[in-house]
Amino acid sequence: MAKRIIVVDDAPIIRLMIKDILTECGGYEVVAEGSTGKEACELYKQHKPDLVTMDIVMPEMDGIQALEEILKGDPNAKIVMVTAIDQREALMKAVRLGATDYIVKPFEAERVMSAVQKALGEETKK
Amino acid sequence: MPDKEIDRALKLVANLAIDKASQVLSKMVKAGARIDVENVALVDITEATEKIMRTEEGEVVGAFVDLIGDMPFKFLFYVDAQDSLTLTDLILRRELGTSKKFDLYVTSSVQELGNILASAVTNVFATDFQIKMRPSPPRVVHDYTSTVFGEYIMEAAADQNEILMIESQFKVVRMNIKCRMFLLPQGDAQKELSTLLGKV
Amino acid sequence: MAVEVSVGMADFKIGKDGDVLSTVLGSCIGLCLFSARHKAGGLLHIMMPAAGEAATRPDCKKAKYADTGVPEMIRAMKVAYGVQPQDLIAKMFGGAKVLKEVERNIGQENAVAIQAMLREYGIPIKAHKYGGERGYRIKAVTDTARVQCQVFGNPPEEF
Repeated sequence: MAKRIIVVDDAPIIRLMIKDILTECGGYEVVAEGSTGKEACELYKQHKPDLVTMDIVMPEMDGIQALEEILKGDPNAKIVMVTAIDQREALMKAVRLGATDYIVKPFEAERVMSAVQKALGEETKK
Repeated sequence: MPDKEIDRALKLVANLAIDKASQVLSKMVKAGARIDVENVALVDITEATEKIMRTEEGEVVGAFVDLIGDMPFKFLFYVDAQDSLTLTDLILRRELGTSKKFDLYVTSSVQELGNILASAVTNVFATDFQIKMRPSPPRVVHDYTSTVFGEYIMEAAADQNEILMIESQFKVVRMNIKCRMFLLPQGDAQKELSTLLGKV
Repeated sequence: MAVEVSVGMADFKIGKDGDVLSTVLGSCIGLCLFSARHKAGGLLHIMMPAAGEAATRPDCKKAKYADTGVPEMIRAMKVAYGVQPQDLIAKMFGGAKVLKEVERNIGQENAVAIQAMLREYGIPIKAHKYGGERGYRIKAVTDTARVQCQVFGNPPEEF
């Protein structure tokens, strides 16, 4: 059965890129897309996905706040941060708060897949 | 007029930031991005805007980002409107010529380039100088070049007739696409930068 | 021979006999003043409504502000071409709110301030187009007093 993913980023182009990568790999279904941290929280409650990819810099509510909110409601939530901020302190903070992994933009398809598969406890697909 | 210390400090930071930005731009569009212009200067607002009207007026898609933190800056990235269609195809690895209209994905490609380039600048500040900064979500505007540039300098230009500007121009080599990137230190950012660099 | 001249932010240019004065605007207002009698005109690119304390500074860019820029341009046209305020008509453009997130509507403030200045001089506003969320490109022809105005994304209009 396909793993259910929610993709959250305020840039439609990034959501499309991630969706294309997941579709090409196969075995994943993007069940919803969000463009703010607030939408991420609402969509999570609605869909209870297997994984969320989460941008950090977003309007209304940033990805770190959304990460904390979602984990409060579901401590087992799997959230991979996808961000252009390549600052050790910021990324370690996200991981300490409970993010499963992080991907730094600009990303390669292989990096996205390895982070998603690792988060879902899957063997790396070739 | 900035004294020599501030000028040197800013030039150092500018070199590193612009260099990093060109690397991430190359990675994003999977094509070489060469730095064509790199300049730190005090510019007269009238001369700067008149020059753009006279020599490079056209239509651009621009991303405005506020760099917030220890040292606030205003950031602007813009690209010729037609070239933004090509950039979108490059980013999405589509056949060139696929993007024909200024749709959500085209404005979003400039939005995301703005985000990534602005983040590259804040990453340099944080990693190399321990200056904490983060970018705001980008605002995208598709308009005349001078309208975009004018709105960018508006806040600083309201109080000053000359503004200190870090300016660069990149060329995506294969495609002959020109992109411009600007950084405007806000408030006491210039003095604070010099003080902080003096301590490092 | 007629020339085309660009007018940058916080500046004005004057000309006559077919000179074309052009500028591009966002929240700024482009004020065109014309004298049919002298076949002369001026274009002022105004950024802010009032100079306030800045007016007292020696380096004040008077053209930046409505309350100092309008008198400056009128004075320049008088000195250069012998134009009097009663010879003049006005056409105004611009004042868009390009960055929607910004709270202050500086374009509207500029328009109101300029209208007040023109009333003081008794200069009638014969045409105007302002507001919206897109930039304006204007070309003012000094001898005919015609202004071509193109709002971004729209066809050009003649005023």
